[in-house]
Formats: sequence, C-alpha cells, structure tokens
Amino acid sequence: MLTSQKAHGGRLAAFLLLVLPLAVYILVYLVPLGGIVSLSVDNRGLSDRFPALRAAFAQGGAGTADGRAAALLQDLAGLDAKARGETARMLNQEISGFRSLLLDTGRDAATIAPTMAALVAFDPRWGDPTYWEVIERNIPALSLRNFQKVTGLKTGPDGGLTIAQGDDIYLRIMLRTLVIALQVTLLTLLIGYPLAYAIANGSRRLGTFILMVVLLSFWTSILVRTTAWVVLLQTNGLLNNLLLWLGVVSEPLQLIFNRFGTLVAMTHVLLPFAVIPMMNVMRTIPAAQNQASRSLGAGGVETFLRVYFPQSLRGVVVGGGTVFILALGFYVTPALVGGPGDQMLSYYIADFVRKTLNWGMASALSVLLLGGVLGLLAIYGSARWVMTRRKEGV
Amino acid sequence: MVQQAAARARLINPPDKGRNMKLMKSTTILMTAALSVSVAEARDFTIAGWGGNYQDAQRAAYFEPFAKAQGLTFIETTYLGGLAELKTMSETGNVIWDLVITDGATLQLGCDEGLFEELDWDALGVADSLLPDAVTPCGMGNVVIGNGFAYNAQTFPDGPKSWADFFDLARYPGKRGIKNDPMMNLEYALMADGVPPDQVYEVLATPEGVDRAFAQFDRIKAELQYWDAGSQPVEWLAANNVAMSTAYNGRIIMAAKEGKPLTYVWTNQISNIDAWAVPANSPFKEQAMEFLKVAADAQNQATFSSLMPYGPTNVETAGVLPADVVANLPAGENIKDSLFLSDAFWIDHKDELTERWNNWSTQ
Repeated sequence: MLTSQKAHGGRLAAFLLLVLPLAVYILVYLVPLGGIVSLSVDNRGLSDRFPALRAAFAQGGAGTADGRAAALLQDLAGLDAKARGETARMLNQEISGFRSLLLDTGRDAATIAPTMAALVAFDPRWGDPTYWEVIERNIPALSLRNFQKVTGLKTGPDGGLTIAQGDDIYLRIMLRTLVIALQVTLLTLLIGYPLAYAIANGSRRLGTFILMVVLLSFWTSILVRTTAWVVLLQTNGLLNNLLLWLGVVSEPLQLIFNRFGTLVAMTHVLLPFAVIPMMNVMRTIPAAQNQASRSLGAGGVETFLRVYFPQSLRGVVVGGGTVFILALGFYVTPALVGGPGDQMLSYYIADFVRKTLNWGMASALSVLLLGGVLGLLAIYGSARWVMTRRKEGV
Repeated sequence: MVQQAAARARLINPPDKGRNMKLMKSTTILMTAALSVSVAEARDFTIAGWGGNYQDAQRAAYFEPFAKAQGLTFIETTYLGGLAELKTMSETGNVIWDLVITDGATLQLGCDEGLFEELDWDALGVADSLLPDAVTPCGMGNVVIGNGFAYNAQTFPDGPKSWADFFDLARYPGKRGIKNDPMMNLEYALMADGVPPDQVYEVLATPEGVDRAFAQFDRIKAELQYWDAGSQPVEWLAANNVAMSTAYNGRIIMAAKEGKPLTYVWTNQISNIDAWAVPANSPFKEQAMEFLKVAADAQNQATFSSLMPYGPTNVETAGVLPADVVANLPAGENIKDSLFLSDAFWIDHKDELTERWNNWSTQ
C-alpha cells in the first residue's frame, strides 16, 4: 500500500515536472494575449476617472443639467495633472478639441460654480450636447467603442446597424491583408515547389547550390533585402533601364510603391519558409516508389501526379500555412515598397501603439486580425474533416 | 532555521515531494536573483535622437563637449517618434533614456501626462537667449526645421516656385512625393489654394477648410508617391523617381552640397521646432540639465548649424555664423513668408484628421 502510494507520488511528480514547462509556456503566452485582447473593451482608463458623473448618470435619466455639471467639476477637481492629460487624450480620440476643453476646464475646476450655466459661460462648448454624449458613452467600465470604430458599425436612428460611407476602412484593410497574404502564399508555393523538388531530387551539387541561395537570402536582414528591391525596381532602376535598352517598353514601368512591388518583395522574403518544409517532406518520399510506378507502366507525368505530388502535399500545407500566417503580420516590407493602398493591418496596429498611444484601437484591430486567422483555420479544419470523412466513407 | 524547516518538511512529506519543493524553491531564488541583477545594473547616460547626419552633427556640437565637461560616458539610441517608449518607461519605472529630442506636439502631450521632467527655467538661466517658442514647461527648443518641397534642377531648369506650382501637374508634369501624414500636407494644400499663411489654421479648423485641402490633393492623387522616412525624398529626387517632393530643408541642402542637383523651395515653407526633453524620473536628471545649458549655447548651436543646415533657437547664433551658412537655414530672409507649425491645432485634431487621411489615401 505504502510503496504503491510512493511510486504513484513519484510518477505524479515526474508528470508535474514534465507538464510544468508547458504550463509556464501557456501562461507566458496566454496571459499577455488575454491582457492585450481585454484592452479592446476595457474602458476603466476613462470610467474610473468620473466616479461622481457615473453616480449622476446612474440615477436614471441623466440627472439634472446642474447635477451633471457639478459632478463633472467634482471629478475634474479630483484629477492630478497627469491623470487629466491622459483623460483628455482619450476623450480627444472621440471628438477633436475635447482635449483642450477638458484641460482648460480641469485647470480651473475649483473656481467654476457648479452649475451648467457657469460651465457654459466658462466655455460655450459645454452647451453642445455632443460632448456630453461622448462622456456618457465612456462612463461604463466596458465599452465597445473600439469595435464600433473597427467595424464602422453604428446604430442608426431606427435602431438598425448601418455603416457610413468610408467608415469601413479597417474592414477593407483586413480584406486586403487576407488577399495579399493569399497571393504571397500562392506565389511562394509556385516558385518554391520546383526549387524544393530540385533540392530533394537533383544532384547533390545542384541541391546544395540551390539550398545555399535560398538560405543566403534567409540570412540577410529583411531591411537590406527590401531596399535591394527598391534599387532594382524603381523608375530609373536596373530592371527598367534594361527594359528600355532592350526596347521592350518605351517609358519606365511603375514596378514599385504599388501592389506589384509589395508582392515581389514579400514573396522573396518568405520564400525560404515555403521551400524548407517542402524540401524536408520531399526528401522522405522514397525514390523506389517512382521507379515502381514507372515499371507498372505509368508515364512521368502520371507518376508525378499520382505518386509523388500527393505525398508532397503535406509539405505544401506546412510551407503554405507558415507563409500565410507570417504574411498576415507583415508591415515593414509593404511600408517600404508599397503605396498607401498596399498597407496591411499590422501597419495600422503599429501606428496606433507607437504614434497615438491608442492601445484600445490597436487591441481591437489585433482581435480583428486574430479573428480572421481563427476563422480561416476553422474553415480549413472543417474542410479537412469533411474530406477525411468522405474518404473513410468510401 | 531554513535547514530545520527543510528537515521538518522531509519528515512530513514523502522524500520525493520534498526534493521537488526544494528544487522549485532554489529555481525561484535563482530566477529572482537573476532578475534583480539585471534591474540593478548601472547604465551610462543615454541620449535618444533621430539618427543620421542630424545626430552626427548633434554629437559633435553638443554630446561630446557635454561629456567632456561632465567627465561622463554616454551612449546613443534611436528614437522613432511618438510616446510609446516614454509611456512604457513611466509605467514600468525602468527609465532607460535621459534625454530625447522630439517634436512640439509630442512634447506637449508627454508633458501633460507627466512623461517628461518639468524644467526649472530660472535655474537653467538660458531662457532669455532663446526664441520664445523654444521655452516650454518640459522642453527646450533646440533646432528649427524647415519643411517645404524640393525638385531636381535637371528636370525643371525653370523650376517651380510656390505651392501652387507643386499642385500644378499641367505646368510641371511628373510624380510628387509627399509624407503619408496629414500634418503639414493639409497646410501646404491650403497655401496652394491661395490661403495666406496667417489664415491657414483658421481655415483648417472648419470642415469646409479641411474639404478644401483634400480637394487639392484629389487633383494630383494619381501622381502621388508616399514617403515615410526623411531620407526617401532625397533618394527619389536624385534618381528621378519623382519630379518634386516635400522634404526637410536640411536633407536637401546636404544632398546639394554632395553635388546632387536638388533645389529646396523656401516660399511658404513651414517651420517647426525640435526640443530636448528629459524623461520623467531619469536617474541622470542633474546631468541632463547641464546638457540643456550646453545645447542652448550660441557657439555650440553655430557648430551644429554649420554641420547640419537647420536653424538655431538661440537668437545670438545667427550673428556668429557666416552669411553663406545662414543662407541655407530656416532663418532670416528664408522664413519671411513662412508658416509656423501650430502644435496646439494638431494636438486637438490629429486623431480625426489622420483617420480621414488614411481613409482617403488607402482608397
């Protein structure tokens, strides 16, 4: 009894030790992810700064106008300069000019009489209901305002959801991101497959040479590779000069700072991620199978299509999947070789984090990107499931 | 004490479990020790700047004289703009920069949120020698930047002379480089449309004014090529990728000095000031204040302006400089019809106008 318990305990400890790294990994991975995702709806940065107003609005209706004015002044007087600055920045994301209004009022909060009339006398903008509507929207601790902005959806006067002209900017960019990632994936697979085939099946010297060439670009910094494309493809670049000299074109082509340049540079950067998994899978396909197929009377094309290609698909899926996921997160390359119509979602996420400190919007856009990936994975997963079931059924 | 506890633990628990706990405990201790070492590690005085020739000139004019006088070593790092890093420093308490050079709007935003140290101008004692716009609560304006446009003199021997020419594709065909940012571009468009510099912000504060600015860009949208880094317009102009481009005066004049046929147009250009600020709770705050005195000095600013053609904020510097240097600076005759960038306008309107700009430019 005792010995078995002891052995059991030992096994449990070993199990725990083995699971520990996994638990740490999940914790280290999921906790920050959850933290970032929660920023998209977490509005405590604003709502915590208006306790009195929250109470005033909770009293049903919006309280009296004077009650609201008094609550606002009370809340503003309770903020130190730093908190006032942060609050003003966040409110300004909703309407231009709220920043200066809030800072000015906040500085003099103690001297303004707690009535709406006095507040409007201090700054007539307080008489404009739009400012109060913004405050009311931002009183709750949870807010969907970032998602509203991301999707462009607004509640219309009849209660239905509408998208105003141009407000769907981030949905358009999300769609563009998916399209570019798909295009790049297809291109890398089309170019990478023959390369991987040559490495796996060609002579050792040829294989090593191609592998070196692929890896060489892998070892070069992404910025250097991208800039090299600028030199090659620009209006007076090498390629255009060659085409002009050959008389193929009569004036330079626009090959960069547009979608073409973006696709070329991204395909180049991501090619090794497609070639290496495909090469690894192809190396495991026994050459004897091809010979067997040929000896049974199949031609070269049929052997490739029916024996070789289906077995290499595993590598295509892994390579293509890797390239697709990596391509979704690109922003340096499109920023350097694309036009404004080729920027991907990550560019705007970085912009919100870096330039405007709007973490809520950055987080909401990340959720959009993550949701897009998960949605595609779900479609892929269910398609595979249906396919395997069909196969098993036959 | 610890040994006793461990012994007691061994008595109570099966040996395996005790060993595991000990392992976990020692791992935790090791990890904590490793973390605290990396936090406590002392660092050198750190200056964050915009990089490139600009920072090279600052090193010669300010960093090195300052380090020599103070007898300290310094390291430099690149600042990419915005407040993201400064916010992180303030929130984690791990302040890794002691000085940063930034633009006026960022300075004001950061100052309002307590991300920069407030300057004691009385103790610094240099306020009287500086332009009034260079003296702000958290920053000391140090460099006057010219923002205008440039063209390749080989393409247009009789070159464009005003913003109206920049937007005139019929007279001056070819691609136009602009920064992918509404700030300054909307001002340029209004000046091209005939708004005098002193009324630009009045007009831009109205919805009709914004529409008017965007309408100007609509006319040349097909020919626009957008830059992100200040080095791009110079490369594009020199390689004839664009016919004209908005640019910083310093970059163009440096390229012209290297023999590239580029001409900067001073008419109705926009001036703005870059300022030094000290990240809040910098451990080298006192030394940073000494640096500000070095950077405010007329002679040091003259050294900077002769290396890098940006303007001084010390009112006496222009008198120290030779005339051929002043001719290339955003100062004197060159800025007689300049517009001064309004940080206040952009702090209030940046979010809204950037959204509209992105929406417009990506379609």
